[in-house]
Amino acid sequence: MTVGFLAALIMWQGCSEGEKDLPTGPITLEWWHFWTDPDIRPTIEQMVADYETANPNVKIKLTDLTWANGHEKIVVAFSSGAAPDIVELGSDWIPEFSFNNQLAPITAAVLADTGAYYGWNPTIHKNDIYAHPWIMGTRVLFINRGLLKRTALDTNFIPLNWPDLKKLCYAVDSLGEDIYGFGSNAAEKHRLYKKFLPFFWSMDGAIFGYTDRFAGFAGDQAYKAIKFYKELHDSCSLVDSQRGLEDAFLEGKVGVIISGDWLLKRIKKENRNIEIITTLFPGPKYPGKSFLGGEYLAVSAQSPHKDEAAKFIRFITAPERQLQFCRANFSANPSSKTAAADSFFMSDPNLQTFVKQINLSQMPPADPQWVNIEDLIEKTLEKILFEKAPMAETLYETNKKIQEYMDKNK
Amino acid sequence: MVLAAMVFPLFWMFRVSFLPLASDLGWTDLLSGKWDIGAYGDIMSSLGMMRYFFNSVLVGGIVVLGNILFCFMSGYAFSRYKFIGKNFWFYSMIGVLMIPAHVIIIPLYLMMRQTGLYDTYWALILPFLVNPMGIFLVRQYVDSLPRSMEEAARIDGASEFTILFKIIMPLCKPALAVLAIQTFLTNWNSFLYPFILTSSEAVRTLPVALALYQGHQAIDWPHLMAGSSLAVIPVLLVFLFFQKHIISGITAGALKQ
Amino acid sequence: MKGRSSLAYFFASPWIATFGIFWLFPLIFSLYLGFTDYRLLRPEFNWIGLDNFTRLLGDAAFLESLINTFIFVFGTIPLTTVIALLLALLIERGFPGRTLFRAGYFMPSVTSLVVVGLIFSHLFSRGGYIFLLARICGFDPPEYGFLLSSRTALYSIMAMDIWMSAGYYMLLFLAGLKAIPIELYEAAASSGAGKIRQFFHITLPLLKPVALFIIVINTIKSFQIFIEIFVMTRGRYGTSTAVYFIYETGLNRFEFGYASAAAYILFIIIALFSLVQFWLFRKGQIT
Repeated sequence: MTVGFLAALIMWQGCSEGEKDLPTGPITLEWWHFWTDPDIRPTIEQMVADYETANPNVKIKLTDLTWANGHEKIVVAFSSGAAPDIVELGSDWIPEFSFNNQLAPITAAVLADTGAYYGWNPTIHKNDIYAHPWIMGTRVLFINRGLLKRTALDTNFIPLNWPDLKKLCYAVDSLGEDIYGFGSNAAEKHRLYKKFLPFFWSMDGAIFGYTDRFAGFAGDQAYKAIKFYKELHDSCSLVDSQRGLEDAFLEGKVGVIISGDWLLKRIKKENRNIEIITTLFPGPKYPGKSFLGGEYLAVSAQSPHKDEAAKFIRFITAPERQLQFCRANFSANPSSKTAAADSFFMSDPNLQTFVKQINLSQMPPADPQWVNIEDLIEKTLEKILFEKAPMAETLYETNKKIQEYMDKNK
Repeated sequence: MVLAAMVFPLFWMFRVSFLPLASDLGWTDLLSGKWDIGAYGDIMSSLGMMRYFFNSVLVGGIVVLGNILFCFMSGYAFSRYKFIGKNFWFYSMIGVLMIPAHVIIIPLYLMMRQTGLYDTYWALILPFLVNPMGIFLVRQYVDSLPRSMEEAARIDGASEFTILFKIIMPLCKPALAVLAIQTFLTNWNSFLYPFILTSSEAVRTLPVALALYQGHQAIDWPHLMAGSSLAVIPVLLVFLFFQKHIISGITAGALKQ
Repeated sequence: MKGRSSLAYFFASPWIATFGIFWLFPLIFSLYLGFTDYRLLRPEFNWIGLDNFTRLLGDAAFLESLINTFIFVFGTIPLTTVIALLLALLIERGFPGRTLFRAGYFMPSVTSLVVVGLIFSHLFSRGGYIFLLARICGFDPPEYGFLLSSRTALYSIMAMDIWMSAGYYMLLFLAGLKAIPIELYEAAASSGAGKIRQFFHITLPLLKPVALFIIVINTIKSFQIFIEIFVMTRGRYGTSTAVYFIYETGLNRFEFGYASAAAYILFIIIALFSLVQFWLFRKGQIT
């Protein structure tokens, strides 16, 4: 009986939990975010609590999204006209939403910030700004110094360009049967292209071409980039998923991998006994260009409280809060230039590498159909790397398809 | 031996759940003597987890009870009675199973939002109270029962309700037991619908909570395995409770009447 | 019997109500979408007739996903059904400790698909148990792990699926076996029929309804295999299946009208299979 009553009570409470507050009186903003990791969620909650204290008429309702399926939930919500007020979006998702008028322009609110933050590119559409950069992420080279020391190379050797990189990888690879020089990604969705594009960009390649009318994937730059990548892949690489590569790297089986700041966090958290050094991504000549992505905050076009939402976004992305976040999560790339100058990032030389790399990195083109192009590029890479397809012809085919797409949609 | 092969992956899951929080899954760690109940400690002391557990049990329990009753009624009707549109309803019922959830989730989400049922227990219960698979199962089972007893009872003047609940239901125990286990299992592990149709922690269910242990770049194996191991317990309990009904079965006693 | 008809409706009403309220509109709406060029996030619905369908028939990715799905269905269902039946017969024989075996065989189906997928992703990888076992037994597993090779990826997932489902269907067969009255066996034995004859003339025919259920449900589920693919390979290395194609096209590329059309083509295929199965197993008289 009591169980039944208790159940009924909880059910009733569960029912009323979903109601929104009326427009008059206190405002409730719904925020969907991805930071559910127990390491960082308390920080998010703290920031939210701080905001609520400073703004007593506003209440923030947090909804947790999983990385694997969160994008679906966001898309379902927006498509059925029942979107949250504030949503966290990845850099390559923003154009999908802004081009379809699903986001509210926040230009007026954030204009003052444009000089002080990195990563505005994907947020701009038809002269309006639709999202605010929050936490960025770039990629650098991780080198296992222990393995480096065992080679005949100088212990302070740093690969500044591609010939250097090749030298390093070959040297490490020859150390033993089960030791590999380079960690090359297997055909993993949303990962493989991020490893290749830096090589392409370092050759000054541009997917959409410089004039934005001719696709640039069949030229010399793409060919040389894929040739070099394939050489590394074929001759001295361990091929595995990103996680597998990182595991192998941490076990001392791989000399060089491309990874992000989460690897630093992992080393720290798991107390790994490994000597690493990070270095800027090398180009054919020094320096190269790395990959840049990030998390952004946006306001839904359907929100009844757009101004309040924009104010909240500015609060969360303020330098102090970003610093708070980066300290808690050991993130290396806040979008705020002010935050990036803080001494926290001097505490570890590897963090410094990331901070420097952000100035030498590039984002994929901001296009609502980027998903399709990304898929094309990944399939191309798979064909060339895993199915031994001829490089020039495959690149040419892909370029034709990209060109078709550009002609259709511009 | 076959049993060992079948059970090994689960044993692995169990073993990993006892690993210290920050270890990789290499053989050295697995075979080492490290048995750390840290992951279990975290989960069992977490109020949130207890709540999600309770939510899953509550929703699962109601859905199972509903299904046992309603699927039984409907399954019997499809097996024994003739009525207009019977074939339509039956085949459309099977048909519902043939459309992937992703395709129909948007209208369903919209409906839940419009009716205010979004993010409540009702969103997790109402659409799933009657499962076509269950009806189909009962119908097949009842098909295989001889009609003699029902005819005899009708001649004796028993009402349809009496026949249904006093005669047929006991005979269907094995099928209903399987139905209970199957329904609970499906519901217990269901992820997509609870994920899309709810947001707040108050009504979150266990699979959604466990999914949050899959981080952006890394999977929190010990916690995830510990949570999954714990999640297996209620299902096993339901299984053990209902399985004896499968085993008892109908015997000559019923037929002799 | 008019009275019985309305009673029948009453009994069937829970289903009719649930279907009418929750599932009818989504089904009809998604069918409608199949004939439009609807894209997610853009509320425009232009009728384009059969364009989606004709485009699908020429879409290499869709056709490949269908082929993979067929491989999956034909590869797993016969094996799963036979293994489940054998296990059920074994257990029914009765021997000490059989409750443990019953629970043990059923266990694989108890854990969530996502978790099983993750566990097996690891076991199939270079550092995993299955990889090691293959090496020990003298096989030559693909260099990077079972899931990273188009030769073995799909088959590995199929093996995992059989592992998961056999125990579950075994349970259903057990229930079916228990429904067969012992007298029939006794009568047959006393009239001189041996075990084998008893099996083929009593057990199998009377298991027909349960077998139909198992095969139909397994078919419907197998044609829609998705979660394992999503968790383990994201459709790479030749593992893209029909529902994965639908998911990717609809929710990732936002071509939702196109994806809905694909879903209905799949629906027609599944429905045809089920109809054939229903016909093959049509109700016989129980004498």
